[in-house]
Amino acid sequence: MIEELGIIFVRGVGLGAIFTLIALSFNVVQSSSGILNFAQGNMFVLGGFIAFMISAQGDPSRLMWFAILPVAGIAIALLLTFQGWVTLLPLRFSTQQNSWIITTMAASTIIGAVMLLLKGPWAQTASAPFEPFNIFGTRTPAPYIMAMIACVVWYVVLRWFLTKTLTGLAISALSQDLEAARAAGLKVRRLQLIAFAISGLVIGTAGYIVAPIISIAADTGIKYVLNGFIASVVGGMGSDIGAMVGGPLVGVLTMFAIYEFGGHFQNVVSLLVLVLVLMFVPEGLFGRARARRV
Amino acid sequence: MSAVTLPNQPAAPARQSWIQARFGSDFRELLIGAILIAATGLIPDIANSSYWTHAFELVNIFIIASICQNLLLVDAGQTSFGMGAIFGLAGYGAAIANTMHGVSYTWSIVLGLLASLAGGVLFALPALRVQHFYLGFVTLSAAVVLPELAMAFNTYTNGIIGISLQFDEMHKRTIFGMISPLSLVVVVVTIAVLVIHALIHRSLLGRRMRIAAESPEAAQALGVSPGMMRFIAFLVAGVGTGIAGVIYPVIVGFVGPTSFSLDISILFFFAVIVGGRGTLLGPIIGVWILYLLPNILLAEFVNWRLIAYGVAALLIMILMPDGIVGGFNNWRRKKRSAGQRLDLNVAAVLGTQQGAPAEHAPKSDQVLVEVKQGRKTFGKVVAVDNADLVVKVGEIHGLVGANGSGKTSLLNVLSGFSRLDAGSLHVDGVDITRLSPHRIARLGIGRTFQTPRIFGNMSLWENIQIGRDARFSGSKTPIPEASVEMLRQTLGEGSPDWVPHGQRRLLEVMRVALQESKLLLLDEPAAGLSPEERKQFGALLRQLRDQYGKTFVLVEHDLDLVWGVADRITVMDAGRIVASGTPEEVAKDPAVRHMFIESSHA
Repeated sequence: MIEELGIIFVRGVGLGAIFTLIALSFNVVQSSSGILNFAQGNMFVLGGFIAFMISAQGDPSRLMWFAILPVAGIAIALLLTFQGWVTLLPLRFSTQQNSWIITTMAASTIIGAVMLLLKGPWAQTASAPFEPFNIFGTRTPAPYIMAMIACVVWYVVLRWFLTKTLTGLAISALSQDLEAARAAGLKVRRLQLIAFAISGLVIGTAGYIVAPIISIAADTGIKYVLNGFIASVVGGMGSDIGAMVGGPLVGVLTMFAIYEFGGHFQNVVSLLVLVLVLMFVPEGLFGRARARRV
Repeated sequence: MSAVTLPNQPAAPARQSWIQARFGSDFRELLIGAILIAATGLIPDIANSSYWTHAFELVNIFIIASICQNLLLVDAGQTSFGMGAIFGLAGYGAAIANTMHGVSYTWSIVLGLLASLAGGVLFALPALRVQHFYLGFVTLSAAVVLPELAMAFNTYTNGIIGISLQFDEMHKRTIFGMISPLSLVVVVVTIAVLVIHALIHRSLLGRRMRIAAESPEAAQALGVSPGMMRFIAFLVAGVGTGIAGVIYPVIVGFVGPTSFSLDISILFFFAVIVGGRGTLLGPIIGVWILYLLPNILLAEFVNWRLIAYGVAALLIMILMPDGIVGGFNNWRRKKRSAGQRLDLNVAAVLGTQQGAPAEHAPKSDQVLVEVKQGRKTFGKVVAVDNADLVVKVGEIHGLVGANGSGKTSLLNVLSGFSRLDAGSLHVDGVDITRLSPHRIARLGIGRTFQTPRIFGNMSLWENIQIGRDARFSGSKTPIPEASVEMLRQTLGEGSPDWVPHGQRRLLEVMRVALQESKLLLLDEPAAGLSPEERKQFGALLRQLRDQYGKTFVLVEHDLDLVWGVADRITVMDAGRIVASGTPEEVAKDPAVRHMFIESSHA
């Protein structure tokens, strides 16, 4: 029993680390332009796709794997910058400030459809040159642990970037008061695009690292973006520490639900968690309660 | 450039035809839509093409669902990516009842509709708490979860195999030997849903939904509960989508988890966007472009369909955010109304005499508003500090003080947007300390906001009509019917874009005046008005007080205006009431002189 709970816990935290990474990538963009990027889930899967492409040539060596890691991050970063530019374009001209909900959903749909066309609805697999870890007497695949490491690394890097570098501080300024930042002479659009690029680095490397344990298929993107969103909501939208806490929480709950009720109900449980949190604690654990307009 | 001025004398009201009264300018679009639906629904049948008959039957029920999505998204402002789930609930409900429990299809329809109604309620609950992308995510989750649930509960739903149904009789061309009952039913139901949408859009409910969507606080000040509006919207959209959902099994003869995947929800949403949000024809054009076109042109490449949705939606949002029909309407409107302007002469409209000496109503000592030891804190900040305020019936009461003195907080308390932490608030003897803003509005208390809440998605007349919708029934001096009718005729279907800022303020006051509230709370009403407009405004307040016995509480920075118009003034500083009395008394009060150094603006 303890063993089973141990496995659930470890895998839950590992899975949660994936959600945390998605939530971290949400936060950067959301706090600088108010946009919650639906396409993040499919971008995550694309990161995994890059790992798949490497493994298709034969199992990669460790050196090779590490060498391609930054490539994956940069590739997705470039793609996300382009998507960000397209998403921000209508916001400049029209009064319809909610167009991003539609354009990010459209981008997500397009990416998913392209994957469907190229590879069909079947899942691809990738392999990574790391042996499973032995925890609680069972073998836990390396990507779970690596996801946790990546989580911590990115958290530290993001915190350092956003508070200690000039560009990062400027991006933080956007999240606090966009108009004041613009009035202070900050190049808002450029900073917002940089934020998109950073979110691409995070999500691309995340997808690449966990490729062996996720199903790289056209429809998994939506599920990951939803779970990442739930992790964000639980932890508090815009809060990085909230993402670090929310992710494992949701991950462990999900793993427990799979264990208790079976894989079919994984998403139902997630949905219930989401609704309950939004009904009772909409600002999450670490988020700020939002003021009402009068 | 033409300017329209309201005449001094109310003209005899012109009679409107029934159609004009119900549908107004929407009638032409409605007619076109009905013809398109009927033509596409019936002609393939008459021509004996079973492929096209089937295709257009599906197209038309997808149009039903898109119309409901349109109502939900635009009229009610609710972002829902999960209407496919409700569609599926209805379809599954009907199919399960009919096939696995032997219920006749008529009753199965009822059960299916009940299922979709339940779905609507389930979606409405999170909508009471969250909006926009949060709500979008929640509904998206539901759309993802439904097919999985259908597979998981396979004892009830037959799992991946799905449920097959037979409706041969409905498909036979038995009517006039040319048309099948199913085609006729689909055409009639689709047109009916279109007509109902148009009716709702123009009805009292529709107006209330739209203001709740655009500005929840303005809606509350007009006695409308935004939560109730969202709830009703989800119920109506849910049942409407359910109607489409219960017809689906009859057309296709099969219901399975893959019938109701996320793709359907995306189709309904994007069809509204691409076709033209808020337009009557939008859903029709949207479904044709997103569903029909790929299926005809790229029939082998069904997977290109999804790319088509995405690319089309993306392009439309960048190039023509109002959609195809919306873009067309905008172009037509620009051609028609280039350079139109409207000059409002408010006093004339309200039937007050120009030039006649204003009768000064006898001052009464009856207390209308009483705040006793009111205290309101926001964390450590004390916004209202043990304030006592008395406002008498039929007086204009000025509330002045520096920024941050607590006057807007006090106004928020009076209108119910803020609740006192301690102390009490009575209006006309009734304790309203704990009431919500829309209930307070219904007791005859009206309010304007610092920025005029003029709704861009409604015509000029509708902007004022919503004030009349919220009419307080206990008013003793109602505005004459003829004046209201003249207002309607002159403003007509004009757009709020025609009215410059200063006049928007007057528009808002007109709306509040039509609300016939006994107490009007005005939040910095003179902001943005020129000196001449301020004089007119002051005169308007005095006329409303004298002729209609209204009581005003006026939060204002323009001390000249306040001293010129107010009967009594209360001065606040740092949450405290510093002085209260007639303008002369307050001006002489040493505590007040200390605050203002002989300048005319605070």
